[in-house]
Amino acid sequence: MASATLRETAAVPDDSLVLRVSDLHFGYPGRPVLRGLNLEIRNGEIFTLLGPNGAGKTTLVKLLCGRFRPASGFVELLGRTPGESASARRALGLVPQEIALYPHLTARENLQTFARLAGVTRSHIAEAVNFALSVTGLDSRSGQQVRQLSGGYQRRVNIAAAIVHRPRLMLLDEPTVGVDIDARQAIQQLVRTLAHSGMAVLLTTHDMDQAASLSDRVGFLLEGRVDTQGAPDALLTQAFGDRRELRITLEREPAAAQQKALAAHGLAATADARIWWGESHAGSEPADALTGALETAGMQVRELRLRRPDLSSLFQRLTATRGVRR
Amino acid sequence: MILAILRVMWLGLLRDRGALAMAFILPPIIFVIFAAIFAGASGDEMRLRIVIADLVDDASSQALVTALQRDEQLRAHADAAMDEPEVRRRVRMGEADVGVVIQEPLAAPLLEGSARILVIADGGRAVAGPMVAGRLQALIQRELPEVGLTRTVQLVDILLDGYTDEQRRQLTLAMEHADTEQAVEPVPLVAQESLQGQAGSDGAVNYYAGAVAMLFLLFAAMQGAASLIDERQSGVVDRLLIGPGGSSVVVLGKGLFLVIQGVLQIGLIFLVAWLAYGVDLPGNFLPWLMTTLMAALAAAGLALALCVSCSTRQQAQTLSTFFVLILSAVGGSMVPRFMMPPWLQDLGWFTPNAWAIEAYQAVLWRGAPAAELLTAWAVLGGVGLAALGGAVLIAHRLART
Repeated sequence: MASATLRETAAVPDDSLVLRVSDLHFGYPGRPVLRGLNLEIRNGEIFTLLGPNGAGKTTLVKLLCGRFRPASGFVELLGRTPGESASARRALGLVPQEIALYPHLTARENLQTFARLAGVTRSHIAEAVNFALSVTGLDSRSGQQVRQLSGGYQRRVNIAAAIVHRPRLMLLDEPTVGVDIDARQAIQQLVRTLAHSGMAVLLTTHDMDQAASLSDRVGFLLEGRVDTQGAPDALLTQAFGDRRELRITLEREPAAAQQKALAAHGLAATADARIWWGESHAGSEPADALTGALETAGMQVRELRLRRPDLSSLFQRLTATRGVRR
Repeated sequence: MILAILRVMWLGLLRDRGALAMAFILPPIIFVIFAAIFAGASGDEMRLRIVIADLVDDASSQALVTALQRDEQLRAHADAAMDEPEVRRRVRMGEADVGVVIQEPLAAPLLEGSARILVIADGGRAVAGPMVAGRLQALIQRELPEVGLTRTVQLVDILLDGYTDEQRRQLTLAMEHADTEQAVEPVPLVAQESLQGQAGSDGAVNYYAGAVAMLFLLFAAMQGAASLIDERQSGVVDRLLIGPGGSSVVVLGKGLFLVIQGVLQIGLIFLVAWLAYGVDLPGNFLPWLMTTLMAALAAAGLALALCVSCSTRQQAQTLSTFFVLILSAVGGSMVPRFMMPPWLQDLGWFTPNAWAIEAYQAVLWRGAPAAELLTAWAVLGGVGLAALGGAVLIAHRLART
């Protein structure tokens, strides 16, 4: 992808604040969603928001886009409120999870349309479109109708349409859903390139591996707040130290008495009743001894895995300790 | 920005051959079919199929059967074996449109027996019965004058309290020597005139050009407006809502496109009406254009207001089909309103179809001045603008949910 073009044309990156969300409260009738959410994103930073379904990620995105007004607290994009300032909204580029494009239009025609609708003046549209096509590596496909492109290329056009007006903050919702590994890597590289050029990126995803490999910082949206945020490695070290994650898969669902025995060994249930999760450290019971103890209690262990914890481990721990339904 | 949405809609239409055919090819074809049917229904092209049972089989009845078979407006079939049950069977089976049973001598005494001729028509072809009955009257008057003469003589005898013996003797003698071959063309008691429109255009063709135009205008507008739902579901609207134009641009851009598409669509129908049936489009172009603009605006506004309120395409399709069919049926796009009961005719004024059809009739058939059309234009334009405003408000509200 032509990152050089982007670097030449984008604003000079620095670490100034692009987005500031402070003590944000919002809810639907009878259902509070966001309860004092705080978030800051700086130029060139990739921030990934993780959270269970229904945590309020989509609601937060709509608040950032100015479609909802906060009950209290505020959202500032480049110092302005998106709900009140068109110029603040113009600094946003939204990449919805769906392919939010006109399928019967070519990639170029789509970008021309979205550029115009984002407020790019007629005289600058050609330049803006060429920029977006170049950055996303779509030059050779610009004349093809979107419906004729592969899923990966459609995803690229989806991103190109969000950056055609050169926003300062890009909101990406599950940008690699349904694409193959090559396309996924290409899209991740594209996001890195955009961030490297100075664009701030807020990514919402369920893909923990993607979050870990792509993000400068991640945050977990739980109970209406961004809980536990920071760089992925730092968060994992802080949460787990040198501990390992222990995952036991049983042949059958354990009975009530067996569940108590599992809990006594420091294991917690997961959504799948046959899979139990725990942590292991230097002084923990050896795996062989644990397996023997469980089999003595009448449980057959199909698999026991010990691994370095990742973001999904942290997510699991956070949701388990807070009793959050996933 | 509105033009950007217009361009998207236009390119989408151009690249969807099915939609293109639905929008611009199907309407003129349907119009031609309707025009052929209804122009023919009032002319000489129908050629109803009739079966005849001559149960009397005398000179007069045979002459009548021959006259019916020679009549170019009918396709008459008679054979000696035909009886009334067979005639009824054939009509019921759809093998004939109308059955004719000559069941009494035509010149039988005026006060005796039953009707001389029984005309049997299927309830589903109700209009065919009176048409054949009228045709029979005309044929008897022209081809069998002695039947009419005999009945007149008998009628005078009854009404004037009887003839004297001498008068009766002279009448009988005169009747025997009556020259029924003589070509007599009496001045008709009732004459009929079918008014022609400007440039000699056919009223039925004029009517159905407007009727079909409104039907397709509404369908095409609903189809185009439903793209709002696709865009909402695909996230395109989410993307556009952060732009400076917001939801208004999307709705107004689509509205503008639907109006232009509607004008082109109606234009094609009336172009065919002009070229094939002589509807005077060039002579009334400006009032026609104004009527078309207002009708297209009404259809676009209503379609957008309906579609923007729907959450799924399926819901929009169901509702739009329902509304278009109801509006078209009540508004006269399917059956001329003069054939409806008065209450339904009054109800028709609540539909854009009725206003548009009447306006087209006024423009193209009567050559009405603009002043006469102001009410129709105001109603259509007002409905369109109000519905479009409603659609913008609803879209704005939905953007915040």
